[in-house]
Amino acid sequence: MSVLGSMFKLTTFSFFVGVFIIFFTLVVLLYSLGSMRGQKNLPQYYFYIILTMLSALGVVLANDLLILLVFWGFLGVLLYLLISFGQKERTSQTAKKALMIVAGTDLLMILGIGLVWRLVGTLEMDKVHILLTSPTALVAYLCFVMAAFAKAGAMPFHTWIPDTAVDAPVSVAAFLPASLDKLLGIYFLARVTLDIFHMNHFTNTFLMAMGSLTIIFAVMMALVQHDLKKLLGYHAVSQVGYMVLGLGTGNPVGIAGGLFHMLNHAIYKSCLFLSAGVVEKKAGTTDLDKLGGLAQTMPVIFISFLIASLAISGVPPLNGFASKWMIYSGIIQTAKGSGHLWILWLMSAMFGSALTLASFMKLVHAVFLGQPFKEIPRTQTPVSMWFPVLLLASLCVVYGVFSKLPLKVFILPSLGQHVVFGGVWNSYAAFLLLLSGLFIGLVIFLLGKKNSKRLTAPFVGGEDLSQYPEMRISGTQFYRTIEDMVFLKKVYALAEQKVFDIYDVIKRIAHQSFKVLSRLHNGILPTYMAWCLLGMIVLFYVLIK
Amino acid sequence: MTAHTNLFCLYIILPLAGAFLAALIGERSRKMLSLLVIITTLGEFLTALGLVSVVNHDGPLVYLTGVGKSFLGITMVLDGLSVFMAVIISFIAFLVAVYSVNYMERYTSVWKFDALFLFMVAGMNGVIMTADIFNLYVFLEIASLASIALIAFGVKRPQFEAAFKYAILSILGSFFVLLAIALLYKFTSTLNMAQMAVVFAYKGQTNIGLMISVLFMMGFGLKAALVPFHAWLPDAHPQAPAPVSAMLSGVLIKALGFYTLCRIFFNVIGVSPHILGVFMFLGVLSMLVGGILAVGQWDMKRLWACSSISNMGFIFFGIGLGTPLGILGAVFHVFNHALIKSQLFLNAGAVEYATGTRDLRELGGLSEKMPVTSATGFIAAMAGAGMPPFNGFWSKFMIIVAAIQAGQIGYAVCGLIASLFLLGAILKVIRLGFQGPLKAHLMGIKEVPILMRIPMEILALGCVLGVLLLFGPIRVHYLDPAVGVIMHGKNYMFLVLRHLI
Repeated sequence: MSVLGSMFKLTTFSFFVGVFIIFFTLVVLLYSLGSMRGQKNLPQYYFYIILTMLSALGVVLANDLLILLVFWGFLGVLLYLLISFGQKERTSQTAKKALMIVAGTDLLMILGIGLVWRLVGTLEMDKVHILLTSPTALVAYLCFVMAAFAKAGAMPFHTWIPDTAVDAPVSVAAFLPASLDKLLGIYFLARVTLDIFHMNHFTNTFLMAMGSLTIIFAVMMALVQHDLKKLLGYHAVSQVGYMVLGLGTGNPVGIAGGLFHMLNHAIYKSCLFLSAGVVEKKAGTTDLDKLGGLAQTMPVIFISFLIASLAISGVPPLNGFASKWMIYSGIIQTAKGSGHLWILWLMSAMFGSALTLASFMKLVHAVFLGQPFKEIPRTQTPVSMWFPVLLLASLCVVYGVFSKLPLKVFILPSLGQHVVFGGVWNSYAAFLLLLSGLFIGLVIFLLGKKNSKRLTAPFVGGEDLSQYPEMRISGTQFYRTIEDMVFLKKVYALAEQKVFDIYDVIKRIAHQSFKVLSRLHNGILPTYMAWCLLGMIVLFYVLIK
Repeated sequence: MTAHTNLFCLYIILPLAGAFLAALIGERSRKMLSLLVIITTLGEFLTALGLVSVVNHDGPLVYLTGVGKSFLGITMVLDGLSVFMAVIISFIAFLVAVYSVNYMERYTSVWKFDALFLFMVAGMNGVIMTADIFNLYVFLEIASLASIALIAFGVKRPQFEAAFKYAILSILGSFFVLLAIALLYKFTSTLNMAQMAVVFAYKGQTNIGLMISVLFMMGFGLKAALVPFHAWLPDAHPQAPAPVSAMLSGVLIKALGFYTLCRIFFNVIGVSPHILGVFMFLGVLSMLVGGILAVGQWDMKRLWACSSISNMGFIFFGIGLGTPLGILGAVFHVFNHALIKSQLFLNAGAVEYATGTRDLRELGGLSEKMPVTSATGFIAAMAGAGMPPFNGFWSKFMIIVAAIQAGQIGYAVCGLIASLFLLGAILKVIRLGFQGPLKAHLMGIKEVPILMRIPMEILALGCVLGVLLLFGPIRVHYLDPAVGVIMHGKNYMFLVLRHLI
């Protein structure tokens, strides 16, 4: 038992994450009963889901880095198998990409584990405490951080998530990239950051910078997407930025906020994905140009989707606001320590939140409001599909309104530190700020109105709307201007060519080096003999010189 | 001399006898032939398991042929490393024998195949047991020549081309081995490996010793397919019938390459940091080159062959580290890779058997029609990619961690990069071969017959459970003795000389 005891350990933190792993598994299992009906190899599908849950529990309960690595790596294999259940054209490519990125960073984790062992001679997580003073320690830390980033989907290892969101079955997208992998990635990042290594100013700044970058870049990508699931996928990346940012603040409020955000994100993002699944099942597509007006046919899903959208955008009193608020105050508290960089982090976090709201306005409009693209047959959605969605949406409200509850039960005990909520309340100043905000908004509105006058042919009424495609305002047109800005246009074009996709970059390198080597392997026997002899001569030189 | 020691020489004689019997049966009855080969190899496997316990119980065995206690006769030695290899060889040979019953149905002259196959096994068995260096050369040639003939067994143009290339390069390697043996004989005036070890220990490091080392490194390195002596392998291994490819990549390169290099360098000549450094460098080079070559292949078997080069690189990297963990990792990887790679070649064979092609561009969606083949293939592929919790992960992990412990962080990173390439290549096979929609021209395919499925299932199970080797009595009785032979190289000469004098 002592061996087992050193391998596994139940802490309050792992208990907290473990409870939600089981919760999300149950939700997804329930949902799959409806959404996967009629698919092939269903026993295998459920088997993999259960195995995923067990491995995820293994990760959070592991106290030995090697044990953690084994479960962690196996999750990659399961992710691959689960994505392969998708029926899309590019499913197998996406599955490969996801496993390559996740397993590639597992290799970094192996490196990190090796370095930790070299430094301290043990892999038991509760006994390892390393100061980030030597370069070796820093490299080990960065290796672990990369592994956590890839699992959670922070930049630059995020590219598998949008693809997975599109090509995997929606229950898998909600299960792994949206909830479980976030929980695990951030869990591991928190363990590494809080327990194993002692953070310093540099690593905190690094985390905050990566977090801010992830928020802004991913949300900018999300703004211009035309596919419901891909858009959600980019938000699944963007939100990781907040968690990383929260952990990077290094003060209890920020960290607790990051962890709370991890939980909240898993709730509302799986809610969004599962709703998207219902939409896809009904409308047969996730292309935003071909959706619209679904609020009439699926009111429950619409309400849930709306709640989750507002939650992810950080609108009070929903749960996303509570955790984002904590992260903001965490960032403000870092201002006491050093420099003025905190303004940058705060701005990107708040700006990112605004852009999130903007892109969800587009999404909600394009999917549920406006003119329907075509008639959707009024069929009954199975209970097993709408109930999980509603459950998660109501959890968004509960965890927002009574945010003290999850904080007290799960998050603060896992942190084990005293959390001081900062901030002052001055109603006079707040009132003035609100007022000036409204005034500025009004000014901008009036200025915009003054300069642009639009001429249109008179619309008499009674026409058949389908004759006038321009009369159907699809949400996808909302942010065209952003795509056309000079600088952003170039960035988007590069992103289209996958210049920022680490997987494609490495793939290109591999194929280039293969070309070089295959030119050397020309199949001519004398060449091969010459190599053997040359090799021997070099060996002679090396050994006998 | 006890009954046990007689038993272990039977181990070499059994397949030789089987080979002659196969030739006697000839074309008369295919069933009898299959039965003969299966019984022979099963007998070998059971004997090998028995020998493991004997060696653990009584210590290493030494058997003197010919003229009693003298250096003139040929000495046979069975120690931890030999018995380790013996189990691998006979286990894979047994599974391959079962597999080839159905697979070889489409070929003519199966008795020639069976006879050559058993000769190859006999040659490998001889290599791993002899303590006489010229005898080692003879067995080496038996195994090599048998394998050359087996590669040409398809008797078509590509097979002949591959066999010819392999023959020329293999003989080039053998030639340098022979040259080294001649120099050794000149230098030490004996052919007994233990006695040579005494001379080397006495004379210390000399230039002639280094020269012999280089010749052996080239000769055996060629058999082990270390870069830059590897070029024959991607041509030769894919062209053989699948069961033979499984033997070649799974076992032969290890018996003729890994085992011989370990035996000669650790037990006879003695290793210096320089030589270990060369092993390590060649290992890292092979890992990278093999991995990169694998990425671009379209022929399933050729891709696996390239990955064999990379895996041999891992093994030599571990050996070259010279630390207990590194050597344990390497020895364990020998075992794991034997399981993985034979499974993958058998798998490719099953795909070829069912579809008639192994070009990944023409395959797709096989998992629908061939669930067993694709599931076992997936497991072995994941094991080969080093994904936990399959066996390949543990040995690679040990080698990488050992490298970091030994301070070779740059090499460790190279190993990780090579793993990434291998993973990409392996996923290419899974993706193009087994996943996605079934291609139209493959609609009529069927799962392979049961005698082909069982070996694949056993090997896949081995890939899942392989980690158990690291725990408890199996490790103590099976892996640790093999590591001990390599780690404590000098014990070999004391052991043999005690019996001779």
